[in-house]
Amino acid sequence: MIFSELYSAYYQAVATILKEACTHPVQVSELRKIIDQIAFGESVLNIEPALLEERWQLIRQDGTTPIQHAPSMPLTTLQKRWLKSIFLDPRIRLFYDNPPDYPDVNPLFTADDIRVFDKYLDGDPFEDADYIRNFRMILDAIKTRTPLSIDSLNRKGNTVRRTLMPEYLEYSEKDDKIRLIGSGCRYGGIINLARIVQCTPSARKFKYKPDKEIQIDHRTVELEVIDHRNALERVLMHFTHFEKQAEKIDQNRYKVLITYDNDDETEMLIRILSFGPMVKVVAPKHFVDLIKERLIQQKSCGQ
Amino acid sequence: MAYSELIKNFNRIRDYMREFYVYGFKSRDEFTKKSARSYDDERRRLESWLGDYMRFRQTSDGKSVFISIDSRVSRHNPLYAAWKTKSFTDGDITLHFIIFDILHDPETTISLNDLTESIDAYLESFQEPKTFDQSTVRKKMQEYVKEGLIIAERKGKTVYYRRTKDSSLPNLDALDFFSEASPCGVIGSYLLDKAEHHEEGYFAFKHHYITGVMDGEILCNVFEAMADKKYITMETINRHKDRISENHVVPLRIMISSQSGRQYLMAYTPRFHRITSFRTDNIVSVRIDDVCDQFDDLRGKLDEMMPHLWGVSTQSRSGQHLEHIEFTVQYAVNETHIYGRLEREKRCGTVIKLDDHSTKFVADVYDASELVPWIRTFICRITHFECSDKALEEQFKSDIRQMYALYGLEGGENN
Repeated sequence: MIFSELYSAYYQAVATILKEACTHPVQVSELRKIIDQIAFGESVLNIEPALLEERWQLIRQDGTTPIQHAPSMPLTTLQKRWLKSIFLDPRIRLFYDNPPDYPDVNPLFTADDIRVFDKYLDGDPFEDADYIRNFRMILDAIKTRTPLSIDSLNRKGNTVRRTLMPEYLEYSEKDDKIRLIGSGCRYGGIINLARIVQCTPSARKFKYKPDKEIQIDHRTVELEVIDHRNALERVLMHFTHFEKQAEKIDQNRYKVLITYDNDDETEMLIRILSFGPMVKVVAPKHFVDLIKERLIQQKSCGQ
Repeated sequence: MAYSELIKNFNRIRDYMREFYVYGFKSRDEFTKKSARSYDDERRRLESWLGDYMRFRQTSDGKSVFISIDSRVSRHNPLYAAWKTKSFTDGDITLHFIIFDILHDPETTISLNDLTESIDAYLESFQEPKTFDQSTVRKKMQEYVKEGLIIAERKGKTVYYRRTKDSSLPNLDALDFFSEASPCGVIGSYLLDKAEHHEEGYFAFKHHYITGVMDGEILCNVFEAMADKKYITMETINRHKDRISENHVVPLRIMISSQSGRQYLMAYTPRFHRITSFRTDNIVSVRIDDVCDQFDDLRGKLDEMMPHLWGVSTQSRSGQHLEHIEFTVQYAVNETHIYGRLEREKRCGTVIKLDDHSTKFVADVYDASELVPWIRTFICRITHFECSDKALEEQFKSDIRQMYALYGLEGGENN
C-alpha cells in the first residue's frame, strides 16, 4: 500500500525520538524539537501528549524507553519494486555502473508500462561514457565546492571555456536534458551537459563569492482566460509548475497571474500562443507587444 | 468526529489539493455546498502539512485559499507531505516499534505465543500497561507479511516470524533524482526519509509538474494490474456533471505528458471494443480483477497504434479513421533553430525541408485536433495549413482571425 502509516511523518518522528531515548532519557524540549523538524505544523499537539500520557506506550514518564535498539524497518516490497523499476531506467547509469538488484521482487513498472509521449526527441545521451564521466565529476564538484573549468560547444559549434562554481544540476523532463547551473561566471552560468567537450577541476583560486541561490529574474505576465472549450482548466494545468494566482472576473472570464524566469520569455510567449483566442495577454505592455508582433508577422504569411 | 491532522482516506484530500493547487480561486462558499466543516478541516490539514506554500487572498467573493509552488525552486515535491499522513491507532504504533525491536536481529525467529509474551514484557513498566491478545498480534504480523517486512514460516503446527533481511539504501543522489523524475516518486521520498544524513539540493527540476503525485495510489494499482495482466474495474468521475461511472477495462499503458502535467491510462474497454484514454486524475478508485488472456495481443495493438497517436486520443471528431494534417513554416537564414524545433518536437510526424527558408510538417493521426495547440506555437511563420478535417482547418484559421481581433489588429473577427 502506497498510503500507509509505515511511511508516515508521525512514525518517522517517533522513530527518531526512540533512537535518542535508547541512549538517554529524552526531555520534552528535545521531543518537541524532533517533532517540529520531522512532522507537521500541528503534530506536536498530537505526538507529545500521546507519548507523555502513555497512549503510545513507547516512552516512560522519566523519558526512558523499553525499546532497546535504534528503530529500523526493512524495505517494503513496494519500495523494492519501485527501486527495481528505476534501476531499469537508462538514466540510472549516471549514478551506478552496475545497479543493485532485488531478486525477490518484480519491478513496479517497466518501460513498456509508461510512455512520456511529448518529450523532445534530442534528449541527452545518458548512457554515453563521456557524458556519465562529466555528470559524476560535476556532481562531485557541487558537493565539494570545487570550481570547474569547462569547455563546451556554443550554438554556433565553437568551443567556449568557462570557469565557474557548480551550484546544482537542473533536469527538464520535457527537454530530457540536464543543465549545470553555476555561479561566478560573467559569461553565463548555464551549460547543457550534452554540449560539454571537456570538464576538469580548476586549480585557479575562485574569486567569486559562492552563491547557492542563483538569482532568477522573475517576471509576471497577466492573462485573461475565456473559459471556452475547457480553456481554464487547460491553462491552469499547463502553468501549474509556476507560481501563479487565478481570480474569477465574471461568468466565464478569469484573470491569471504567472511568474516566470525572464530567460524563458520566448518559451512563455509560444506557450501562451498555443491557447489561441482563449487566452489574451493583458500586461505587461512589452509582452502584449511581443504577441502582437507575432500576429502581425502571421498576417503577412497570408494565413 | 474530532479533527485530526491525519487522515484515513486519501481521496477527499486529493480533491481539495487539486482545487487549491491547480485552480485556487474558489471561495469558501463555493466549497461549502456539501459541508462547511469538511472544507475547514481539509484546509486546516493542508495548512499544517504545507506551511508557507498555502496562501490566502481576499476577494469580493470572500477569502480564497490556494497553493502556490514554483517547482523549479523547491527541490522536492512539497505535496509528498500529504502521503505521509495516514492515520493509525494507539495500538498500531505501539506494536510497530516493539515488534521490530523484538525482531531487531534478522536471525531471530519467534512464534506468535512468544511474541505476544515478549510484547507484554515491554509494556509492563508503564503505569497502565496495554495488553494485546494473540489475534491482534497475528493480524498485525499478517499485515507486515503482506508488506514484505516480515517472513512467516510454518514449522509443524507453529508459525514462526522473522524480519525480512535488511537491504541497504541505494545511492542517495539517485533517490534524490528519481523521487522527482520517476512515476510514483513519493516512494523515493519514503526511502529518503530513511536516510540518516542526507543533504539535498544538488538537483532542481524545470518544467516539473508535481500534480501527478496525487494519483500515486491509482498508478500503483494500475501498474500492479498490468504486471499481472489483469482487468481492472475503475470508477471515473465526470467533473462537469459531477457523476461517477464504473468501467471494466484492460489497462495497457500509462501515458505521461511532460508539457501539460496530465497523465492518462490507455485501456481497452471490452464493452466498446476500443482502446481509449482515461485521465488518471479522473480515476477515483481501481479494483484489480481477473487475468486477461488477450493482454499481450491488446498491448501489441496499442503498439501498432502509437505511430498515429500525437497525444492520447484514438478517435477523431470527423469520423475519419486517420486524419491528415500538414503545415509549412518559413524562417530566415539565421533562424535555422526553427527547423531544429520541428525535428525535436515532431513526435510521430514527418519533417520535410523544402528549401533553406521553409519546412513542411506532415502527420497522419487519429485525432488531428491534438496538434493544433502545438502548431499555434509557430504563429508568425505559418504559410500553409491544411487538414483532411475541413471543419478543424476552418476552426484553426478562424481562431487566428479571432486572435487578430483580440489584440485589435486589422483582419480580425469576433467570435
